[in-house]
Amino acid sequence: MTRRTLFTLIALASGLALVSYWIGQQSYSWMPVQASAEAILVDNLFSFMVAIASFIVLGVTGTLLYSVLFQRASRYDISDGPALEGNLKLEIVWTAIPLVLVVWIGTYSYQTYNRMSILGSGGSLHVGMPTAMANEIGASPEASAPIEVRSRQWAWEFYYPDRDVTSTELHLPVNQRAQLQLTSEDVLHGFYVPAFRVKQDIIPGRAIAFEFTPIREGRYRLRDSEYSGTYFATNQTHVVVESLKSYQQWLAAAAAQPLTPAENVAYQEFKAAIEKPMSLGWSRIVPAAAPLANYSSSESDSHE
Amino acid sequence: MFGFVVFLLSETVIFLSFFVGYIVFKTSATDWLPPGVEGLEVRSPAIATAILVSSSFVITIAERYLHRENLWGFRSFWLLTMVMGSTFLYAQAMEWLSLPFGFTAGTFGGTFYLLTGFHGLHVLAGIVMQGVMLGRSFIPNNYAGGEHGVASTSLFWHFVDVIWIVLFALIYLWQ
Amino acid sequence: MSDATLTALPKTEQPHPGAPDNWKRFFTFSTDHKVIGIQYIVTAFFFFLIGGLLAMVMRGELITPAADLVDRTVYNGLFTMHGTIMLFMWTFPFLNGLANYLVPLMIGARDMAFPKLNAVAFWMVPVFGVILMASFLVPGGPSQSGWWAYPPVSLQNPTGNLINGQLLWLVAVALSGISSILGAVNIVTTIVRMRALGLGWFRMPVFVWAVMSAQIIQLFGLPALTAGAVMLLFDLAVGTSFFNPAGGGDPVLYQHFFWFYSHPAVYVIILPIFGVFSEVFPVHARKPLFGYPFVAVSSLVITGLSGVVWVHHMFASGTPDWMRMLFMFSTMLISVPTGVKVFAWVATVWGGKIQLTTPMLFALGGLVMFLFAGVTGIMLASAPFDIHVNNTYFVVGHFHYVIYGAAVMGAYAAIYHWFPKMTGHMYYEGLGKLHFALTFIGANLNFFPMHPLGLQGMPRRVASYDPEFAFWNVIASIGGFILGLSTLPFILNILSSWVQGKKAPNNPWRAIGLEWLVSSPPPHENFAEIPVVVSGPYGYGSNEPLVELAESKAAE
Repeated sequence: MTRRTLFTLIALASGLALVSYWIGQQSYSWMPVQASAEAILVDNLFSFMVAIASFIVLGVTGTLLYSVLFQRASRYDISDGPALEGNLKLEIVWTAIPLVLVVWIGTYSYQTYNRMSILGSGGSLHVGMPTAMANEIGASPEASAPIEVRSRQWAWEFYYPDRDVTSTELHLPVNQRAQLQLTSEDVLHGFYVPAFRVKQDIIPGRAIAFEFTPIREGRYRLRDSEYSGTYFATNQTHVVVESLKSYQQWLAAAAAQPLTPAENVAYQEFKAAIEKPMSLGWSRIVPAAAPLANYSSSESDSHE
Repeated sequence: MFGFVVFLLSETVIFLSFFVGYIVFKTSATDWLPPGVEGLEVRSPAIATAILVSSSFVITIAERYLHRENLWGFRSFWLLTMVMGSTFLYAQAMEWLSLPFGFTAGTFGGTFYLLTGFHGLHVLAGIVMQGVMLGRSFIPNNYAGGEHGVASTSLFWHFVDVIWIVLFALIYLWQ
Repeated sequence: MSDATLTALPKTEQPHPGAPDNWKRFFTFSTDHKVIGIQYIVTAFFFFLIGGLLAMVMRGELITPAADLVDRTVYNGLFTMHGTIMLFMWTFPFLNGLANYLVPLMIGARDMAFPKLNAVAFWMVPVFGVILMASFLVPGGPSQSGWWAYPPVSLQNPTGNLINGQLLWLVAVALSGISSILGAVNIVTTIVRMRALGLGWFRMPVFVWAVMSAQIIQLFGLPALTAGAVMLLFDLAVGTSFFNPAGGGDPVLYQHFFWFYSHPAVYVIILPIFGVFSEVFPVHARKPLFGYPFVAVSSLVITGLSGVVWVHHMFASGTPDWMRMLFMFSTMLISVPTGVKVFAWVATVWGGKIQLTTPMLFALGGLVMFLFAGVTGIMLASAPFDIHVNNTYFVVGHFHYVIYGAAVMGAYAAIYHWFPKMTGHMYYEGLGKLHFALTFIGANLNFFPMHPLGLQGMPRRVASYDPEFAFWNVIASIGGFILGLSTLPFILNILSSWVQGKKAPNNPWRAIGLEWLVSSPPPHENFAEIPVVVSGPYGYGSNEPLVELAESKAAE
């Protein structure tokens, strides 16, 4: 390798590294708003992986593109290229590089996962740092029973045992560790709030402890993330993150309301479908009746 | 033969999967045995097990006779293997009929019938293969140059036996 | 170099299996591996078109946020059947066909080890294909539980009939498994036992290595899926409760059975495609495969690792922390042998005398798309990030880059590369390049938008979605329709050139390999005399003979 090619290579690699770093920084804008402490951790990890990925993709694609553009055989050239069968040093290097990267990404991911520690203490084993996240950001001031998240085909119901309140919209105080208990009455569902970057399958017959820390006030989408049958796509609701004060006001106001049937898209669609004289669909699973709740949100409410 | 060995290795994974399922169910279940069931009786299945396992030795003797080109020796011990296998199946059927629970009785009932039934199917397949090989021995000069079918059938039989030993230990001994 | 050996092979009067004049033999119980290979490929392609049509209806539904084109139940049936058909009716049979056609030719064998078993395994494909298609006609329609068929959704049977879409689905998948196991036993035995004299392990073409590695996965993985499918079948049909939580069963156990096979199944698909890349690049760049032994062995390493990574599909399921972390690391390790291959291909192409033929274009396009799929794959292996995008369109985008971007593009590369050999005719380059352009543009337009959608939190398998996802969905739908269109020049090209294309010489690419030494299409039983291999498979530029010449043999 001449000095000149070496310089060219180094220059190219540094340029590529800068571009990759820039793409990595852009990756934050590809995500939903960062509404939880976990979201910050996940986005940092993602940005790091995007930068590395950009370096690899651009480097390899660029090399291939150069070959395709400048190393073509001319039309009547039927000769062979150099009989280069391999290069042991080079091969060891490009086996070692992915290995190093893997260990790096793996370790970073491991640390991130431990800091998130979203699976509650009920039944999970923590290796390494125990619930570091909880200590960093607002551990709950008063111990309260976890909010029960009840899922079914196809409705979300949130039960606040302390105040005996049932709601179809999840309200959480900002900057406090949210403690949830996930249950399902029929099939697998998934608790997923994109703005929080957290997700957990809900398994019938089990109660899964789940936790995270919302850090930004607003109204976000909560979606079913595990395919749950006919009206799966409609199984969405909202999470409202608000100040402790308005949270407590909301809870008190809800507790004063009687239980009334909530709006439920799946149930409405089902009723409309069976009332049609000609059914154009295949067999459908009968949805549970609209849930009874002290407080219910509307599908048409705006979200971020 | 190589192909058959590959096939048996693959088949082993099905049994392994069922075994894993059984172990997972048994170790995680809250009510493992169906209501009113105390456990499985071990004595007569143990006798059936002894018969099946010894038939593995009998089939080896039959193969030795074939190797020495003693066709009648081969046929008699081969037939004895078939009889022993059938006895095992009969004992299994009797046990099924006498049990107080069905295959819908929780994960225990399900896995019990699944494992014993799937293994029983293999025993039956082995006996059918043995029947075919026995019939072929009456074709003149058919086994003069050695017959891979016999070796494969015998290997299959040993395979069925080994699976049963594991199965017996899992279902009857580990209660 | 190879021209000398061509003349040495005597002319044969036997029928040529690929020639169009005897098309009737494709409808018989032929035991010729070349006939079976083409039977597999054509049958698979037919189902590819069906699966593609279903996908286009889905993209039509998703072009607007509301569920308005088809009923939700129809949409759910469509994505279930799309996934099932594309995997069990298109990719697996297609790759089995390719392996069937090429492996005996590449290793210098006259046929597969068990020709009759081979035919049985093939003829099971139309049988379970018909069973699967029949589920469209039963009351209640086809399965709507997704191609994973996770219980308890897959156990919900609203019609109450014993014969329902889900049952037929399970029967078809079980039969497909049996067919694949028979095929795998046959292919592995053929490769281990029937190589020509002199064809040691490290003289085998990488395609053969890759096929063997892939089929070993079938052997240890499929039985686990079969076990899970049998238990699910009993739950559905006779009321056992293995996976039904209502009766004490464990739905997560099913997921373990399912993914223990179905993740490695991705390598069953991609490994032979890696093999195709490894054959196509050296020929059309006129250079030896860079680091051949590393590339060859890395396939087996992938096979080994593939058995210990399945839980990464379940990072958001009911799995404990330790399991998530363990499988995160094991999954990431897969990128090491895969990286070795990618770098080797780049080094093969680098500095070559590149000819941008249609197979080369498809291989290059496939490699670039695979690279993208690879880096998103590493991201998905990272548990904390995966928890965000798990079951979102990010995953759908990732695996379509693998399965369409790499596998289907690689499949097209293989078809164009070996088409002259299989049929004895050349295809039309112009149509081939048009096909490539449409496919590459369509695939990227269709599947790239899925990544931003997933990052934004759009779940997969939804018939309707929130309006903020509309922009990228419109683009994806346009890409989907272009992909549908892209098959037209391909079909036109293949049909017309098969019937009236220019006659292909024995070795149109001046390629090295036993399959290029015989006539196009090859005669019945392939080789009049089994060749003796004397050198490695990629001797471009070094002018060594691949096989012992007839003259030198005579002189001995």
